[in-house]
Amino acid sequence: MEQILQLIALIAVIIGTAFSVLGVLGYIRFPDVYTRLHATGKVGVFGVVLLLIAAVNLGLLGFGKALVLIVMLMVTGPVTSHTISAAAYRIGIPMKRAVRDDLANISTSQYKNRP
Amino acid sequence: MQNLLIFILEASLAIHILMIAVCAWRVWRGENAIDRLIGADLLSTLTLAILVIVALILVNSIYLDVALGLAALSFIGTISLAKYIVDQSVF
Repeated sequence: MEQILQLIALIAVIIGTAFSVLGVLGYIRFPDVYTRLHATGKVGVFGVVLLLIAAVNLGLLGFGKALVLIVMLMVTGPVTSHTISAAAYRIGIPMKRAVRDDLANISTSQYKNRP
Repeated sequence: MQNLLIFILEASLAIHILMIAVCAWRVWRGENAIDRLIGADLLSTLTLAILVIVALILVNSIYLDVALGLAALSFIGTISLAKYIVDQSVF
């Protein structure tokens, strides 16, 4: 039983590190602010959560505290990504190779700064 | 199994420290303000991952409490910095 829990923890650490490496690689290589946000959202939601699952399997912390951290990360990560992308759109950072822009014809006062 | 787990954890710690160095370089040489803000958010997330790995290596649960505090504070900091970039004022 101990061996099986350690094996699950080892696989979780390897997959979490792989997600973090792919997220940072996307942050360096992608051409645009919005696509970079798509890559960096994976680091918070998958990388750290899989490391926490490994910590639970090794018996380091109770399931309650780990659940608090996991729920907190899975709520605050998408909220942060949405806030940053809304700020980028409102100060008028252009998209590279975009197919269409659904907010281009809306003339509310929120988007008055956009060129 | 124990030795293999320790080796994988230390290799993961080295990879995360390398990724923090790359992100710090990218924050220093960013294209625009939003790009640097994404880099700062990613730095805080990677610091969180490093705290969890250090807690796993040292078998000490106190680092996870530090990680909980860091998660809350980095969320508030990123939100307020994004609002400051758009409106040029926090409140």
